Amino acid sequence: MAIKGDRRVAVVGLLAAGAILVGLPYVANAYVVTLVFLLLMWVTLASSWNLLSGYTGYVSFGHAGFFGVGAYTAAVLITAHRWEWWLGCLAAGLACVVLALILGWPALRLRGPYFAIALLGLSEVGRIVATVWEPVTRGGLGISLPPTGDLLADYYVMLLLAVLATALVYVIATSKTGLRLLAIREDETAAEVVGVPTTRYKLLAFTLSALFPGLAGGLYAWHTSYIDPATVFSVTISVRTIASAMFGGAGTVFGPVLGAVLLNLMAEVLWVRFPYLHPVLFGGLIMLIVLAMPGGVMAMLQKRGLLPRSRQL
Amino acid sequence: MVGADAGALALAQVVISGLLLGAVYALLAIGLNLIFGVMRVINIAHGELLMLGSYATFWLFTLWGVNPIVSLVLVLPAMFLLGALLQRTLVDRVVGQPLLISLLLTFGLSSFLIGVALNLWTANYRSVPAFSGSIVVGGLALSISRVIAFVVALAITLAVWYFLRTTRLGKAVRATSQNTEVALVCGIDVARIRLLAFGLGTAMAGAAGSLLAVIYTVYPEMGRTFLMKAFAIIVLGGLGSFGGAFVGALALGVAEALAAFAWNTQIAEAVAYAIFIGVLFVRPSGLFGVRE
Repeated sequence: MAIKGDRRVAVVGLLAAGAILVGLPYVANAYVVTLVFLLLMWVTLASSWNLLSGYTGYVSFGHAGFFGVGAYTAAVLITAHRWEWWLGCLAAGLACVVLALILGWPALRLRGPYFAIALLGLSEVGRIVATVWEPVTRGGLGISLPPTGDLLADYYVMLLLAVLATALVYVIATSKTGLRLLAIREDETAAEVVGVPTTRYKLLAFTLSALFPGLAGGLYAWHTSYIDPATVFSVTISVRTIASAMFGGAGTVFGPVLGAVLLNLMAEVLWVRFPYLHPVLFGGLIMLIVLAMPGGVMAMLQKRGLLPRSRQL
Repeated sequence: MVGADAGALALAQVVISGLLLGAVYALLAIGLNLIFGVMRVINIAHGELLMLGSYATFWLFTLWGVNPIVSLVLVLPAMFLLGALLQRTLVDRVVGQPLLISLLLTFGLSSFLIGVALNLWTANYRSVPAFSGSIVVGGLALSISRVIAFVVALAITLAVWYFLRTTRLGKAVRATSQNTEVALVCGIDVARIRLLAFGLGTAMAGAAGSLLAVIYTVYPEMGRTFLMKAFAIIVLGGLGSFGGAFVGALALGVAEALAAFAWNTQIAEAVAYAIFIGVLFVRPSGLFGVRE
């Protein structure tokens, strides 16, 4: 348990960070705001991935699938059916929740490696469906949306998503639900024996974890005004999500937040300065993270006693 | 009934064409299976190893006119050594660790290799037009490249099968796959077996790449598509089953060919995924799988 003094520091720190994020659009230029917008998107993705894979141990390589479904749902509703952008985004989230409920049932019966590559496969199926179902998705041509015009609104909504995703992880992690999820991760059979309704909890985690990429995907589509199958269903999105969460520390509340910000900031710098070397450097970076700090930054800080080992973190 | 005969002939041609390609897929899938069996590592970079084999054959052919089949003499040992090197420096460090670790590591490696290929050889599509045309066998026209690829792939597969089945080292590999701890107790040098398995798997992937270069276009990201096919095959045939991987590969080849014939190539691509998802949801242990 954190000591009272540390707690106060943490709260003040969080409030300060919140204030900076809220006030940012008024002091920074459009490039910075867009950059932070994207960082917040990665935080949302990483936190929601963490909810499933960090806490239940079911590693999903298919996060991009939900992102893509969300992006396309919103895009199609906004362009072909003239829905309001925020309604489209909500519908995108709902679509992903429904999809997760349908797919989760058979998928969560798979263990370890099977689950990981099954989700990868499903994500790729999403890409192929988007490419082939031309009457609805316009196939490889992609969908162009009307320009957003309101960078501020987009930014604040993404900020809200990031906060909600992380808050959700915090609430669950510090609750009995979180303990049960951890039990599933550590030893699912034992958890069942002890009376944890594993299927229900796994499905819950899976569904909640699918909601956010759906919403974020829809918002991303609206903000960037153009999507195509290769971009929004890209496996790189899944991997970057995982790498972000791992870099910070999967299975912790703030690890993915930290990791998402740091890793994607680094990726942005690399991309700007070495566009051709990007896959080389990014791949190398991931390998380095995996070999040198598999527990992430949080684990490192906790090991050195700089942070308490608490579920609240 | 000429129409019916022509239809049956076309169908037979499609099926055989699929079988021929299937043998090459088998090389890739068996290699992936071997690595997983011995080390419990899912090698996401396996497709990129195939890609390297393709480029090796391409450059040998383009720069020095080396016949693709002859190029295998160089590619096989070179890829084996590369595999051993990768195993010793990278993969060995994550053996025994949670799945996520090895998945991410091999994914990082995959990205890295694609980036290297992109920078060294650009994204331009390459091809190895070494064999063209077709031969006619019993009324069926078969692409010469595919026939050659089939024969070579089959030869390599049989050689590996013979190695695993009869030689002492091969049996040690199989023993390690079945139960690493007991293998250790029996005095098997498990570390060396891992080195061998990864090297062999890499060599097979490289060989598959060399053969595919003659049939398909070569480009840095080609590996990803073939990797998914390999996954589909392994899932179909059962993780850990050599024979299952071979049969699964042939089945996938035929299914793809039929789908391409009935609809188009994009749908054919989806076949691998459809099989993959379908089998996973219905019978995760595959057709011949070893239930864990």
